[in-house]
Amino acid sequence: MTLETVGFWVVAVVLLASSLAVVLTPNLFHAVLYLAAALVATGVVFLLLDQPFLFAVQLLLYAGGVVTIVVFAIMLTERLVGERLVQTSRHLVNGAIVSAAVFVGIAGFLIRSPLDGARPAQSADVTAAIGRALFGPFAITLELLGVLLVVALLGALHFARSEE
Amino acid sequence: MIGLSAYLTLAALVFSIGLFGVLTRRNAVGILLGIELMLNAVNINLVAFARFSGNVTGLVFTLFTIAITVAEVAVGLAIVIAIFRVRRTVEADRLDLLRG
Amino acid sequence: MAPSIGLPLAVLALPFIAFVLLAVAAPLRRAGRAAGLVSILTMALAFAAALTVWARGLVFEATWTWIPADGGPIASVGLMVDSLSQAMLVLVTLVSLLVQIYSLAYLHDEPPASLGRYYTYQSLFAFSMLGLVLAPGFLQMFIFWELVGLCSYLLIGYWYERPAAARAAVKAFWITKLGDVGFIIGIVLLWSATGTFEFTELFDKAQSVSGLPLIMFLIYLGAVGKSAQFPLHVWLPDAMEGPTPVSALIHAATMVTAGVFMVTRAEPLFALVPEVLTLIAWVGAFTALLAATMACVEGDIKRVLAYSTVSQLGYMMAAAGAGAAQAGFLHLLTHGLFKALLFLAAGAVIHAVGTNDVFRMGGLFRAMPHTGIVFIVGTLALAGVPPLAGFFSKEAVLGGVWEAHLTGPFLMLALTALLTAFYMFRVVFIAFFGRAHAGGHPHEAPWLMRGPLWILALLTVLVGLRLAAGGLAAGGVEGHEEAPGWLAPLSVGLALAGFLLAWAMYQRGVIEPARVATALGPLDFMARRRYGLDTLYAGLYRGIMLGFSRLIGWIDRYLVDGLLNVLSALTLRAGARLRGIQSGKAQDYVYGVAFGVLLLIVWAQLWR
Repeated sequence: MTLETVGFWVVAVVLLASSLAVVLTPNLFHAVLYLAAALVATGVVFLLLDQPFLFAVQLLLYAGGVVTIVVFAIMLTERLVGERLVQTSRHLVNGAIVSAAVFVGIAGFLIRSPLDGARPAQSADVTAAIGRALFGPFAITLELLGVLLVVALLGALHFARSEE
Repeated sequence: MIGLSAYLTLAALVFSIGLFGVLTRRNAVGILLGIELMLNAVNINLVAFARFSGNVTGLVFTLFTIAITVAEVAVGLAIVIAIFRVRRTVEADRLDLLRG
Repeated sequence: MAPSIGLPLAVLALPFIAFVLLAVAAPLRRAGRAAGLVSILTMALAFAAALTVWARGLVFEATWTWIPADGGPIASVGLMVDSLSQAMLVLVTLVSLLVQIYSLAYLHDEPPASLGRYYTYQSLFAFSMLGLVLAPGFLQMFIFWELVGLCSYLLIGYWYERPAAARAAVKAFWITKLGDVGFIIGIVLLWSATGTFEFTELFDKAQSVSGLPLIMFLIYLGAVGKSAQFPLHVWLPDAMEGPTPVSALIHAATMVTAGVFMVTRAEPLFALVPEVLTLIAWVGAFTALLAATMACVEGDIKRVLAYSTVSQLGYMMAAAGAGAAQAGFLHLLTHGLFKALLFLAAGAVIHAVGTNDVFRMGGLFRAMPHTGIVFIVGTLALAGVPPLAGFFSKEAVLGGVWEAHLTGPFLMLALTALLTAFYMFRVVFIAFFGRAHAGGHPHEAPWLMRGPLWILALLTVLVGLRLAAGGLAAGGVEGHEEAPGWLAPLSVGLALAGFLLAWAMYQRGVIEPARVATALGPLDFMARRRYGLDTLYAGLYRGIMLGFSRLIGWIDRYLVDGLLNVLSALTLRAGARLRGIQSGKAQDYVYGVAFGVLLLIVWAQLWR
């Protein structure tokens, strides 16, 4: 049992548990907090895969940004409703069956594919390689992404604007 | 030794849980949370494949996915708030104006 | 030939120009009397042209090709002027002109707009009839034939706001159409056999046509409808719903004469089929007798004249059937004169008294001596009293029928001659010499109406004298057959007998009309009911047409609509089922996406 193996199992348990909590807890606010936990756990998975840069991005953008936005939204709608938002679920069995079927389908691919090669050595400066790729072959995509973010920002402002 | 398939199985599980959330949550914000989980699962897949194939493209795409997710969440929540103003509810079951 | 074409063309074109002018220039038409003057002026010019054509004795044929096709044109249009069309041109334009002048006074109470409409139709009517008369081929003749039918429909239904007039117009139109169907079929059969519509070519080629009797019979059907032969005569009495001048025009110069004219024109063709000729003769004679009996019991002065027209048309047709088409045509001409006279005189009477019923007239001779005299002149001519026009033509017809050894038709026609004199003098005695119980103050018609009456009366006498002179000198004018010597005394005797009978019954009162009616019980009964033909047709119409319509309606309602209803119901139900899928809930759609993904997974794993 290497450290990595132990870390993986711990992270896996945390990730799955918090994910389940996200979709099952009745309290929406708690669900968001569990989502934050799940996102952090995902970041740790990135770390286990030797990607500290992505771990940092994950923490900053997801756990920091997205969760904050969602919390704000919940606070806002709760204030508008004037009562606590209670999360309820519908067609639990149906959803469980469909989701399980999808999982079985994906697992089928995993079983039938010989994927268990050894992990190759990690090159020293992955972050630098990412930077070169972003401003090299993916430069146009990066710029378009910037445009997308601006548009999304403006769109969000438009939708959320009050009507008067 | 943790192989590629372990990461992929973990991602598949998270993905299914996210799908379950999307299918069963009544609250629109809850559905958005489920979508977040599914996107995360995709990210895990991308990073795992990139790591095990030694290719940097997957990592770049992960960054893109994260950025797009942020945009999606922002717009999605803005829509939820707008709907809430008009319909006084965010329950997806009641938002059925398009019913045939 | 080129210079002479102008005159007949002018005869044809002038009424057409008047029609187009009145039809297009709405303000002129709505002016009423002005429209009438335009129509009368052009008709007078056309009459002058027709008179010139007749006086010069122009004979020519000019055709222009029409309907080009591979291997030569299919048909041609043109003008055909010969002795037949010369006489018809003069008759048609003369009667049209006089009728139009007369109408100006007769219809002076009409609103201007509808008077303009009347003259528009009149011009079109004259144009159609002239085109028919000048037609060099069956196709052109048929076109104008239908135009004539259309115009008579329009004029009979001139007072279209009256239900009776509208119904009579439709009846006239449909019943003549019944014959026209046969006519067009015959024409087309003849064309497919010979490849031409032209009369002159047909006369050469027709001998070799197989099935000619059937073809000629079909063509004859057109004349049956148009010239009101039994059993299609029922429309003509109803046509009396139109204004009286229109009746005069229809009966004397246009419409009904078209059938006789057509048979006369196509006489060389009919001469090839003796069996059809015999049929024509029998039907004509029977029609003459049948109509005469109906005229004897009729109380409506216009209907009496209408039945007498049917009867005289029977004469003409019988003559044509006997191979004496010229005699029939002569009778057509003379009859045109005195029948127009009689109708216009009757119109003057109706105008003065305000009723059609002869039993509500009486003593009119003293009140309206002019009208009375001309009416008596017309009556004498119709009854066949020498030396008036009717005598000679009627004698020619009888002689022709006798010559053809058609004893049955001859006897029927002779009896008809007696009846003709009887019913005409019956009207004269009741209306003009009977005890006066007409309401109001009957007064003489204005000069605008009396003028045409006198002109026609004068012509009736003059033509008679001319025929008398010609007949004595040459022994036959315009097909006047050499008749056996006893024929003239016989016809005069018959007319005299009819006159005496009427005198005895309605003037002296020696014989009680009611007792005669009882003595001839069934006949009287039948004649009063018009031999049940109208009822029969109405019943047939109701039974066949309405039954068929109901059948069609049922099919439409229950089979066609039913099919569509079932289809639409199925569509609706399927839609109602399918709309359940479209719940409008986003999550239900996610299920759809998930199932799609599952399908893709299954497909990718199992079949690839």
